[in-house]
This record gives sequence, C-alpha cells and structure tokens, in this order.
Amino acid sequence: MTSAQLEVLLQTLIAGVLLGGLYALIGVGMTLIMGVMKIINLAHGELMMVAMYIAYLLFSLFHLDPYLSVFIAAPLLFLLGMAIQKFLINPVLKVESILPENQVILTVGLGMVLANLATMIFTSDYLSTPVDYATKAWYLSDFWRSSPIELSLSYPWSVSFLIAVVITLCLGFFLTKTDLGKSIRATAQDSEAALLMGVNVDRMRVITFGLGSGLVGAAGCLLIPIYYLYPDLGGQFTLIAFVITILGGLGSTVGAIIGGIVLGVFESLTATYIGMGWAPVGRFVIFVAALIFLPGGIASLLQRKRFGR
Amino acid sequence: MRRVLLVMTAVFVVSLFAAGAFAEDFKLSIPLPLTGKQAKFGEMMKRSYEIAAEEINAKGGIKKRKIMLSFEDSGAKPETARAIVEKLIDVNKQPIIVGEYTSACAKAVAAVAEERKTPYLIVASADDDITRQHYKYVFRQNAVNGHYGDGVVDFLRRVVKPKTIAVLYESSAFGTSGAEAMVKDAEKLGTRVLMKERYEAGSVDFRPLLSKVKAARPDVVYMVSYVMDASLLMKQIKELRVDAKLFAGGAAGFAIPEFIDNAKDAAEYVVSATLWTPQVKFQGAREFAEKYKKHYGDYPSYHGASAYSALYVLKNTLERAKAWTPDKIRDALKATNMKTVFGPIKFEDREGYQNQNFMDTLVIQVQKGAFETIWPTQYASKKYIYPIPSWRERR
Repeated sequence: MTSAQLEVLLQTLIAGVLLGGLYALIGVGMTLIMGVMKIINLAHGELMMVAMYIAYLLFSLFHLDPYLSVFIAAPLLFLLGMAIQKFLINPVLKVESILPENQVILTVGLGMVLANLATMIFTSDYLSTPVDYATKAWYLSDFWRSSPIELSLSYPWSVSFLIAVVITLCLGFFLTKTDLGKSIRATAQDSEAALLMGVNVDRMRVITFGLGSGLVGAAGCLLIPIYYLYPDLGGQFTLIAFVITILGGLGSTVGAIIGGIVLGVFESLTATYIGMGWAPVGRFVIFVAALIFLPGGIASLLQRKRFGR
Repeated sequence: MRRVLLVMTAVFVVSLFAAGAFAEDFKLSIPLPLTGKQAKFGEMMKRSYEIAAEEINAKGGIKKRKIMLSFEDSGAKPETARAIVEKLIDVNKQPIIVGEYTSACAKAVAAVAEERKTPYLIVASADDDITRQHYKYVFRQNAVNGHYGDGVVDFLRRVVKPKTIAVLYESSAFGTSGAEAMVKDAEKLGTRVLMKERYEAGSVDFRPLLSKVKAARPDVVYMVSYVMDASLLMKQIKELRVDAKLFAGGAAGFAIPEFIDNAKDAAEYVVSATLWTPQVKFQGAREFAEKYKKHYGDYPSYHGASAYSALYVLKNTLERAKAWTPDKIRDALKATNMKTVFGPIKFEDREGYQNQNFMDTLVIQVQKGAFETIWPTQYASKKYIYPIPSWRERR
C-alpha cells in the first residue's frame, strides 16, 4: 500500500468515525423511544429540523454560537416532546382501533405538520449559520513536519463529535445510576411488571419521549454548523435513525451508539471505494443484512457475550 | 368645501381626457411561476418586467401606447402554463407571448404558440430541444444548455490548459447533463478525465470522495451542484487541502450569492459559468442592477436581466412591425438586431437551432468575497487570478 492509498484510507476512517458519532446521537433518541414505547417515532427527523430552526434563530438574532444553543434548543425540544406524548400520543394509545400501530401513523402526520409549518414560517429557502471556524482543521503536518502523509481533522466536526460523546455518556449515567433512569429502563423491559412495582408508566413514557426529542434536538444543534437547513430535511435523517435503531437492536442505547459508528464508517468506505452515489445503497444493504443475519441487532451480540462470561 | 370638490372634479375630468388622448393601452399578460419551488425566480422576473414597463411608459410607451402588464401564475406546471397561454391567444387575442421560466413550461407554451401561429419569446428556459423543433414562431433570447459552459471551456483552453480534470456531479438530470457536456468538451481540449463521480444531492460528508480526488491530483476540479452542495464541497475541499490549479463550477449553486455567504473564504478564487452579471459592460446593465437593488435589496441574476431586456426587445419589435398582428410581429421579431442590457440580441438559424440568440457566456470568479466577471476579457470587471494559491499558502 502506497502512502497515498494509506492517506485516503485513514482520512476515510476519520471521516467515518466523526460522521458515525453524529449519527449515533441522532439514532439514540429514536432507540430510547422505541425501547420504552415499542413504537418508531417517524417524526424524529422533523423534531431535529425544529431544533435546527431554533439554533438558526438564536444565531441570526442574538449571534449565539450554535454549540451553545444546545443548552436552549435541547430543553425546548424536551418540553415539546413531552407535550406531544401527553396530549397527542397517550390519548391515541388508549383508543382501540383496527390498526395496531396507529401511534406510528400519528407521528408520520406530525412530521408532515412540522415540515409544512416550517415552510410557511421560514419559506423553503436554504439557511445556514456561517460560523468563523467552519473550515478550520488540525493538520498532521503541523504537528509532525516530516510526516509522509497529510491528514486533517475538522474543528467543528470534532467539537460536534465530542459533544455527542459527552451527551451519550451523560445519558448512559442517567439511565444506569439514577432512580428515574432505572424506572425508564424498567418500563422498557416490562411495562406491566414496572407498573406493579409502583412505577408511574404513563409518566415514564412522557419523560422518555421528551428525552428522545431533546437528544435529537441536541444533535440538530451539532449538525447545523457543518450542514445547512431547509424544511424538508427531516425525512433523510429519520431514515438514518431508523437504520441505526434496527442495526443497534431495538431499544438498546449502547447498540445504537455502536450502530451509528458502524454505519458512519461503512458509508464512508462505500463512498471512497465504490462511489459516493452508492452511499444510500450501502445504507440499505446494512439495513437488510442486519434484519436477516442479526435480527436482534448489535444488542444481541453484546448480550450473548455477557451470558458467556 | 364645495369649491374644492368642484376643482377636484374638474382636475379629474381633465386628466381623464388627457389619458384618453393617449392611445389605448397595450395589454400584455405574462405567464410565470409565482408559487411553488420556482417562485423565487418567477418573482425576480416579475419585478424586472415591471421595472422595464415603468421605464418604457415614462418615456411615452410604445408608439404612444402604454404597456399594461399583468401576470398569470403557472406554478411551474406545464399544463397550467398551456391553459394560460391558450386563453391569452384565443380569448384575449394577445398578438405575442413573452415569459415562463422552467424548460418544461416553455416547451408546452412553445407548442401552443406554434399551433396558433403566435410569436413566443422565451426569456430564461435553457433546454436545447425547444428551439430545435423547426418552430417558426418560437424565439429564444437566452443561451441554450449545451452552450452554457462555453465560457469556462474557453477559459480552460486559453489560460489553464489542463492536462487532467475531475468531474463531480449530483445525481439529477441537471447534474448528469452538465457533467456529460464537460466530459465531451474535455475530450476536445485533449484533457484526460481522471474521474467522473456522482453523489447524492444533500449529502452531509463529501470527505471520502474528496480524499480520492486529492489522491488523483487533477489539474481542474469541475463540479455541477445545486445550491448548498456547492458550498459544502468547497468548505470540505478547503479543510482537506485538496489542491488543484482551478476549481470550477457549472453555474447553479456556484453562481448565486448564497454560495459566498455560506462557503465564505473557501469560495475564494472559484470560477463558474453564468449568463450575465451586474458588472457586464452592456449599456444600462449597471443602472438596471442598481435600480433593482434599490427597490428589492439584492442584485438580480441573469433571469432578471433577461426579463427586463425582453420588454425592450418587444418595444423594438412592435415599433418596427408593419401591423400589430401575430404574423407581422413575427417577421419583425425575426429581423431583430439590437443591443440590450442582456447583450446583443439577434435571432439566428444555425447549429440546428432556429430563431436562437447566440450569446457569449461569461465566467465569474470569487475575488475578495464578491463575484467578479473575468472572462471573456472584453466583458471582464477584474482580471482573473490564476494561478491560485494553494490552501496552505492561504491563511
């Protein structure tokens, strides 16, 4: 392998891991909701779009750095998510209907409403938050002068990645160490047993939906400095989150994080070695492969290992 | 009080007579997309028509008849455009049709106009086929798609003389046709095409693709992209320090203000094809651009300039026409040879096109955060910057 080939490979892997970190944060919110409620939230990408518009407004009105708007947009999305669960999904859950999954259909409608509202308010123009550090990067040759290859690490992408990692670590701590987190996990494992143990299942559902929305809201704020914004951007990311949820094992947060990174790296490798036009195809190859060969997702692999020990 | 009223009535009546002395107004209805995805362009063209009509009327109209503009929204739907134009010709008896934006709509309108033997002046639709169907009544004043990149290719031939080129394009009809035209032109130039890679519009991460471009070391990187992909590509090219002798864009995403706003310093030195810029040295171009900016806060793109010029072409034609009937207007339009804000306009039959205006397409380059016209040299507002510094040298 020549140094040029090595450079391409390493640069691709770096890109893949950074992309995967972001994917993981987008996917983990959907996984969480999936675990507790047993439904796929198909308005996931649209919720992210809402958070991005909040970040955009904060940037254009108050010049607030998009990374700082995480602390405003994520709590707002948390409240929005709780409201959606409380006033829209919970009532639908209680209604007997012919369709077993009518809450899923509700989320599809919700996504459409959000996208069209955004079009009405902001028109379908492309928006972005042009920050000064958008194209800053660290270069290997700056640190190691005689380096035979040149690698670069994007500054905003790395910051996004690090914040995504911190947020997921906090989520892990919250789910395993706190009372509330344990109740959520109990609800996810067996809602009836949790109910018998005195867990307020309805309340857990409301909190979980809020948490899932807040997480994807944070992901939106991390995405906007490196991407751009328009009302119909949601669908693309709902799809990515969906693939990650399946790949990670429905409802497993650790699985979703690994799934996100696997997907990111896989997409980057496809783009380099097969062709960038094939990246969406690669995404579905992974999706189908996970369904056939690993129906429990990465979570089932993790579990098998634990039992073996 | 009564006296005041009396005076006012008198003034009113007198002014009515004064207007009556002016001959009957010339009513012109223009079909345009004012809703839907293309509304932004429709709006810009509508404003430009209005500015032109105002100017013409202020100077006494066309043969002392004022132009009365009205607009019909086609929503960029060919079937709607068709219905509108059928009404204009059959019911309103309008002797000439001007307008529309998308190629699909223009195609539909052209068919109706030809069928009803009414001249149709196309303003901003680029599909090559429209003026290739041996239509007698269809005229086009903007360049065709196949000639769009002429300026850039000429710049490559005379200045850059590239040995190798990499072509990146989005997977759409627009991207594919643009990339194929460039590959053909590259063969004529004797430039080797190292890679021709497509990508999905709206991608987040172009780094894998760009690292491959970097390893291939092409002289020129040519990209055909819509709005935001263009700036993402340049941002990531800067970040990966992909160096080439020239970064060129095939209009669209590279020739709009959003490109510079979003890509910022990464956009510097990038060249792109375009049909018109506010800086071109056609008489009145500057004034029109400034007037537009004063009213609407931003410079118009070529769509606006073409629309504005179309009304002057109409005025010129109607003044020469022996009678204001479709056939006489058609003959006068065919004989058009005039200078406009959009450049010289003359409708020729050549290269398999009929009634087509051939124009020099321009090349723009981003210099110090603004678009400057650099090629052909007779239209240049600034000298081109070439060779461009490598990314490492730019700080």
